[in-house]
Amino acid sequence: MPERRRTSAKVEERLARMLVVVPYLIQHPGTTLEEASSLFDIPVAQLRRDVQQLFLAGLPPYGPGDLIDVDIDEDGAIWISMADHFARPLRLTRQEALAVYLRATEVANTPGMPGAPALTAALGKLREALGEDTLGDTAGIEGITGGEAPPLLDAVRTAAGRRERVRIAYAAASTGERTERTVEPEAVFASGGRWYVAVWDIDVDDERLLRVDRIASLEPLGERFERRGLQGAGRPLYTAGSEDVDVRVRLGPPARWVAEYYLATDPSDEEDGSLVVTLPTRQMTWLARLFLRLGSDAAVLEPAELRAEIVAQARATLARYQG
Amino acid sequence: MPGDDTMEPLERLLNLVGLLLDTPTPLTFEQIRDTLEGYQGDNIESVKRKFERDKDMLRAYGVPLEMTGTDAWDVEQGYIIRKERYYLPEIRFTPEEITALYLAAQSGSETTDAAQGVRKLLYGAEGGLLTGAAGGPLAVESDADQGRLLAAADAASKRRRLRFGYRTATGAGSERTVDAYGVVFRSGHWYLVGHDLERDAVRAFRLSRVTSEPIDDGPGSEPPSGFRAIDHVESAPWNGSGAPVARVAFGPAAAILAEGSLPGATRESVREDGWTIVRLPSSDLATLAPLVLGFGPDAEVLEPSSLREEIVRRLTETIDA
Repeated sequence: MPERRRTSAKVEERLARMLVVVPYLIQHPGTTLEEASSLFDIPVAQLRRDVQQLFLAGLPPYGPGDLIDVDIDEDGAIWISMADHFARPLRLTRQEALAVYLRATEVANTPGMPGAPALTAALGKLREALGEDTLGDTAGIEGITGGEAPPLLDAVRTAAGRRERVRIAYAAASTGERTERTVEPEAVFASGGRWYVAVWDIDVDDERLLRVDRIASLEPLGERFERRGLQGAGRPLYTAGSEDVDVRVRLGPPARWVAEYYLATDPSDEEDGSLVVTLPTRQMTWLARLFLRLGSDAAVLEPAELRAEIVAQARATLARYQG
Repeated sequence: MPGDDTMEPLERLLNLVGLLLDTPTPLTFEQIRDTLEGYQGDNIESVKRKFERDKDMLRAYGVPLEMTGTDAWDVEQGYIIRKERYYLPEIRFTPEEITALYLAAQSGSETTDAAQGVRKLLYGAEGGLLTGAAGGPLAVESDADQGRLLAAADAASKRRRLRFGYRTATGAGSERTVDAYGVVFRSGHWYLVGHDLERDAVRAFRLSRVTSEPIDDGPGSEPPSGFRAIDHVESAPWNGSGAPVARVAFGPAAAILAEGSLPGATRESVREDGWTIVRLPSSDLATLAPLVLGFGPDAEVLEPSSLREEIVRRLTETIDA
């Protein structure tokens, strides 16, 4: 009975909300439906329904003065007064507490995170209040803040927050060239220890994902833009395109990291410990340089043009040393 | 109100939580039935099943619903929710702290546990959240599977032993048995640090290279005194090596790439031809040669000469291959 199962899952979800949202609303009287909806990620209509149901719930009178009163005024502000037992939220489960702890550790240890000191302080309070019963021994949950934040991270973040167009100089690793572009920075995020910004590139009229540490200069243009809803965290860092060439390569054991670091498909483990993968790319120059770096640890299986490009790049590089 | 079927399950569950939180002594099923409309009805068996289901659901959500004797002689079993186990203890967060936690929990791509947990903490937000944090939620993502990360952290915080498949960076796969001591986040990666039983040494395992669901293998061991998990996560190849310096010239576009991707790189000067001279805190040939070669003709090693020779050797090998 799939229909019924869905209903019961929904009840669980709604119960979960009520045991958490109601205490918040009691503690913060006059919170609007809008605010609560965005804080707790519940659609306004659903929240209104759940809150009103509280009033109808007709809790049995446990003692004198156990009056429940729920009111949503014309501005959408919610006023609840009810018995003490829902005035404080349920404890965090161990799973939730650990997840919060891990998440905050990730964020606090990413270079350039403005809230890092506050987060560290908050984790201390959480640890103290929940104690070992809930969290266990957290001494081993740690982070190392590696490296420094890109110099223009704050400028990029400010522009994204203000929805302001900027003119930037950007060094593209794929072509090794430095270009000037006008972009609309939307979503700033860190992934794999690096900062990225999803932008709308005005000059090519298309979406681009840029690495913040490769932005060499940034000039705010004073023009506001409308967000297009470009995705930040959770997006693939490389989007395959129609011009991509499927490059098939063999990566010896010391070069296997390439498959972890870049988008690689159709992996096949070989007897000798090497890995054969396909690297979809449209940037032959970039790929040729990657092969200069890997040297004898990797080999191109196809296409043959790439092999020629590698030799051309090797000759051009060698010329610098023989001048 | 008519039969139990018309009563909303949510209402029934809220009533049950309220009743069991409020009672000073455990209540038997009969007493609960007498008080709560949701469990009234003629078919005792079906009502009882409904009660069992509700109980399970509440427990699954973390409500500490206990079954215990109603008196010293344990003649009858009753139910109670103890306030001290149910309620979140008082935690006073500053607006900065709760905002930082909230944004952190929002920032993952698939972390509903963290988001749920932080929503419970919002209650203690004095003066509410700071609004308008510039640039929206600051998102950070790691390459570790959330389920495996939680399993590893859970094991480390309870000193459990784990068994799992692991593949090293160079592709060697094997089964590992590890007493979990800690989990460490570094540069976008999560590592499990613990005592590897077979190797009889402390090792760090990058979670993205774990190839099977970690299995709990019983109690583990205590780490040695003064143990710090972070000391066991490898740092960048040349960090703290105190090695001599290499000088490399990078073309105009490549300089910023180099400074961003080579830890410890410092800019020395800009030449008349627009090339930037960068100092790298190492001259280890095996590490540096590949990194510089990755910039192709946009980089040239100036010194040491041993590194120049190594680059020439590698390029010649590539051309002749």
